[in-house]
Amino acid sequence: MTTVYERRTEPAVAPAVRRSPAGPVLVLLWGGAAAVVALWWADTGSVVGTAGWLTGAGRIAGLLCGYSCAVLVGLMARVPLLERRIGSDRVARWHAMAGRYTVCLLVVHIGLILAGYAAQDRASLWHETVTVVLDYPEMLKATAGTVILLAVGITSARAARRRTSYEFWYYVHLLTYAAVFLAFGHQLALGNDFNGNSAATAAWYVLYLGVAALVAWFRILAPVRLNLRHRLRVESVHREAPGVYSVVVRGRHLGELGARAGQFFRWRFFGEGMGWTSTPYSLSAPPRRDLMRITVKALGGHSAAVSLLRPGTRVWAEGPYGSLTEDRRTAPKSLLIAGGVGITPLRALFETLPGDVTLLYRARTAEDLALGGELEAIARWRGARVLYALNGPDGRRPSLSARSLRATFPDLAGHDVYICGPHAFARELYEALRTAGVPDRRIHHESFEL
Amino acid sequence: MHSLKKNRPLRRIVLASAATVSGMVLLLSLKPHSAPTVAVAVPAPSGSSSAGPATGTKTVTGDTVQTRWGPVQVRITLKSGKLTEVTAVTYPQDNPRDQEINSFALPRLRSEALQAQSADIDTVSGATYTSDGYRQSLQSALDSASS
Repeated sequence: MTTVYERRTEPAVAPAVRRSPAGPVLVLLWGGAAAVVALWWADTGSVVGTAGWLTGAGRIAGLLCGYSCAVLVGLMARVPLLERRIGSDRVARWHAMAGRYTVCLLVVHIGLILAGYAAQDRASLWHETVTVVLDYPEMLKATAGTVILLAVGITSARAARRRTSYEFWYYVHLLTYAAVFLAFGHQLALGNDFNGNSAATAAWYVLYLGVAALVAWFRILAPVRLNLRHRLRVESVHREAPGVYSVVVRGRHLGELGARAGQFFRWRFFGEGMGWTSTPYSLSAPPRRDLMRITVKALGGHSAAVSLLRPGTRVWAEGPYGSLTEDRRTAPKSLLIAGGVGITPLRALFETLPGDVTLLYRARTAEDLALGGELEAIARWRGARVLYALNGPDGRRPSLSARSLRATFPDLAGHDVYICGPHAFARELYEALRTAGVPDRRIHHESFEL
Repeated sequence: MHSLKKNRPLRRIVLASAATVSGMVLLLSLKPHSAPTVAVAVPAPSGSSSAGPATGTKTVTGDTVQTRWGPVQVRITLKSGKLTEVTAVTYPQDNPRDQEINSFALPRLRSEALQAQSADIDTVSGATYTSDGYRQSLQSALDSASS
């Protein structure tokens, strides 16, 4: 795809910093948790005896667990405010951390409630469990929901994910919707704090129905609308470097998507053997009126299949997502550091990022420099610099330490640094940049490590 | 915390657990640890008595006492001034929790009342509110029987 650039002559000015709404969103979420605890406080007259303590603690854990489940589903509803302004990767990390905590809360809730009830009824724990599960209303469904949620938690553990395929994890995780649905009934039927408290019951419905509405709209209806409107098809596939392919996608009215350089979409390709799960790939060039481009490294089954896509294949995309855009700028100068296939979003940013931009491209050999020709062309017309960090002829790796970076970029701390590449690479670079005096708020990275 | 900073999972786990446990303990300990006296006891004008034939059997229904979980009302039978039967005619049974509690509490309260021959009976542990309501309704029944 030959890109045609419009010459831009704006001066390098310091950008107006756009605050991320992460702070207010977190305040809202923690506020909700506090409100839930306040509900318990208002509803509990006294805590009497061992049974009272156990049941009381079990109720607090249960309320927080129920609230947290709603929050977890809501965080992953692909709400644009969360995905684009806070960042898909950051929201996913919140979800992962809160998810682990929620599974623990669930186990604690079950244990404490059963122990408390058993103490009160002077029954054995086993007998009490059987009574609760079989005789109490909505409890069979809640038990099923618990089993699913525990399975989701176990299969999401790092040790499990290393040993199982992405598809397996994905389909088990999808069952979370069923688990939440099954467990909802018992919360209202047996919840001490909802019995007879119509305000609390109404608020609980609002919470859950609200989250369900978010999921229905942003995960199901909006993507359907997007794909019907834009009718994406594979236009062509190009080889950029050994094992690295670009796919150009044609569509209609792509300007309406509002996709910006640095963002990504979640893609599904209706080709042979491509499967149904979606994969995120960044745009490797700013979108045109009717064309978008991604650049993919063939690492595994799915990404290798991308290189074999035939023109005309239907494409299903969801997005744009991601916050690694020019909005993150805090300084008039920017340094983009790409490692391997991490060049993808940075190539797009290199073209459109305002101000004084330098690109540092780390790869093993000159052959591995994908999109190299375009980078040179962009550097020429906008007066930017491209630097390459390749292995020496003897295979020695280039030094990207604090010292060498400071030597190459005298005013390093006055730059916004955008990093994209393998996680270990990014980590090392972060430490070097910090040592070299670049503040945290100027180091921008999108990482999907959970 | 920056996404690239090395995260310390063990530290996070310990902090989260400690905060949760201490938070729960704090909340629970700030609540009173003895059952409060029943706040609202609305004596409904439902005290009724029927005198039996010359054998001196009297059946009296006590006041309906509102407890936290619902109303409690007992009916007593007196034979020649001796308490021979106490039955709970109204008691909370909305949810299985109530039913469970009352299935063990009511028989206990009944046998204690018959033994004590008065409303001076112990609270059944785990059925605080039911016991309170029971006691009050029983007392009102005895009062109206002797008046």
